[in-house]
Amino acid sequence: MALPKALQNRDFRSTRVGMISERIIVVLLGLCALITVLITIGIIYMLVTQSAGFFRSDFVSLRGFLTDKEWTALQSQDLAKAQFGILPLLSGTLRVTLIAMLIALPLGLITAIYLSEFASSKIRSWLKPTLEVIAGVPTVVLGYFAILVISPSLQWASGGAFSTFNATSAGIAVGILCLPMVCSLSEDAMRAVPRSLREGAYGLGCTPFETSVKVVVPAALSGIVSAFLLAFSRAIGETMVVALAAGTLPTLTADPTRQAQTMTGFIVEMIKSESEYGTVQYFSLYAVAVSLFLITFAMTLLGQIVRRRFQESYQ
Amino acid sequence: MSTLPKALSEQDADFQQSNASRRQRMSVWFYGLCVAIALISVVVLVVLLVSIWVQGQSRLTADLLMNSHSELDIERSGMWPAIIGSLFVCGVCALVALPLGVGTAVFLEEFKPKAKPLRWLHGFVQLNIANLAGVPSIVYGLLGLTVFVYMFNIFGQIKVNESSGWELMGANHKYQVLSLETGNVVFVPQTDPDQRQITIDQPVQGMDAAGDPIEIEVWQPGTPKPTDPAVRRRTVRSGAIGATVTEKSWYYFRLPLDKSFLAGGLTLALVILPIIIIASQESLRGVSPSLREASMGLGATTWQTVRDVSLPAALPGIMTGSILAMGRAIGEAAPILVVLGAAVAKNAGPQNLMDNAVTMPVLIYNWAGRQQDEFKELAAAAIIVLLVILLLLNSAAIIIRHKVQQSQS
Repeated sequence: MALPKALQNRDFRSTRVGMISERIIVVLLGLCALITVLITIGIIYMLVTQSAGFFRSDFVSLRGFLTDKEWTALQSQDLAKAQFGILPLLSGTLRVTLIAMLIALPLGLITAIYLSEFASSKIRSWLKPTLEVIAGVPTVVLGYFAILVISPSLQWASGGAFSTFNATSAGIAVGILCLPMVCSLSEDAMRAVPRSLREGAYGLGCTPFETSVKVVVPAALSGIVSAFLLAFSRAIGETMVVALAAGTLPTLTADPTRQAQTMTGFIVEMIKSESEYGTVQYFSLYAVAVSLFLITFAMTLLGQIVRRRFQESYQ
Repeated sequence: MSTLPKALSEQDADFQQSNASRRQRMSVWFYGLCVAIALISVVVLVVLLVSIWVQGQSRLTADLLMNSHSELDIERSGMWPAIIGSLFVCGVCALVALPLGVGTAVFLEEFKPKAKPLRWLHGFVQLNIANLAGVPSIVYGLLGLTVFVYMFNIFGQIKVNESSGWELMGANHKYQVLSLETGNVVFVPQTDPDQRQITIDQPVQGMDAAGDPIEIEVWQPGTPKPTDPAVRRRTVRSGAIGATVTEKSWYYFRLPLDKSFLAGGLTLALVILPIIIIASQESLRGVSPSLREASMGLGATTWQTVRDVSLPAALPGIMTGSILAMGRAIGEAAPILVVLGAAVAKNAGPQNLMDNAVTMPVLIYNWAGRQQDEFKELAAAAIIVLLVILLLLNSAAIIIRHKVQQSQS
């Protein structure tokens, strides 16, 4: 009996070479993944070693850093008189972030409700790309928009109560920046809520308003909260908008009409001043960056936990 | 006797009626609110684009595209070096981030380990990437500054106008000496890298400005000067002092990277790496498992399956995600500002691997922060150019997505 044609041609390649190259490739791909871990380790190592240079200095104490009410790293020429208290920078960041959240959270959530519950597919096909375009606008452009349009209109509307650079205009611009993010993440969460819940609500006689606010939003709450947290962390880390529009004076106040240097704004200002490597001012960059990193890291982690732990799954 | 439920016994029909219509009204109001708020985002985008167009349209000239930044001739300032700089920085960024990102995504999606500790590690890497995506870009900038620009000062500190660190290739040090012919110099090769000056008192082998080897003669002051220009050109006064000049080839490379576009590109790669990984993972996850199973069933190894089945199927999604990530990279200013510094006065694109560069967002930031109205208008015009470039990129992504949807249906 003749062998099948495929077997007659006995040109089998050894599988050993294949096995070895397979191994090599797995190791290479694993190295790629390892690099992402190395980046995290690198960030933490850098922040720890470099900010140690800051806290080791005679002019700085950890207590003063956390409680002093003035930050004059750039303003004072004399190092002995410089004050390194993070509170003014933190207050600037919080003011800008709070205003941004006042804009982004309600607007983003309601737009998301509209998109997932009410909008026809035609309106969706217009509104979604609009939001994507806003999300794709570089932050430096929004910063420019803040000083070109938002700040003058605020001054005009308030009769000059706002200073040229102020926390509000920066906050509004950051809010615009975060809006698409809040919207798309919340919408994803709401779309994941099964149809049967909505149909149940309508069957019990709920109006569309009651269905979306009392049924769909609570059901998607974990996703919405994690979207809020991510937006919050994004707003805290936002740099170019505040560098352009929030001013360069660290102030410890709750007044949104005044200048507000944020943590990120200070880092940019410090880089622009080109201070010498190794000075206390230079290392103060890293001390500020540590605070920034810790806050955003906590927010992101919390967002992850909320999403995973409290996610309701419907089968 | 059966009693009515409480809700029905207490409230009369009129009340029910008014309650229902109140709820209906409420719902209509809410719908109106939704539409109004959804419109806000459209209005914001329109206002943004129109105001920038109005501000910058008068500066959209050939000068803007061809010239470089100038403090003196503001009217004719342009952004050509910034466009080239962005191209270089983003090119490096893409070359590094794309293979790394796709590789990581393939590893995470296609090579899921079975052993428990490895599974734990897998989950850790996954969580780590989600966290990296949340790190502010300016922190990546500082990471780039420490790791790429200064390299923790392991290779010595970079000083201005002094070659330092470890020069690995492309640098050609030589001493520059004035010859007797006015305005003409000769060069003597440098042998000892630490010696920054030489004094010439006897004839040596050297080269002329074109790089051709010549014999350098020495003229003792007091003796008659040679008159032949060819001889004068290769004759130096005895005791003439030569200082080091460095000629850098395009592949000039040294450690640490200093404020070079290479360092900028690497830093940007760190910023967009998580975005690319997450997009590629989503895309790979979307490939139907039956395709993989069919490939495995035919006897392909995992890598063969990935190479010939999963990756081609996921490629459109990966490309869309990568293009969007590149759009982010082009518009990113903060990390570049930290790594390359805020200086924008540069006449051309990078000349060698270690050369500094200006990018478009940094230039826009610089112009936007100035007092003069001319610069503000220039900033708006530069923003228009940047937005047009981003628009082109995004439409490429949309076209790819569209093509794929058509071919799949």
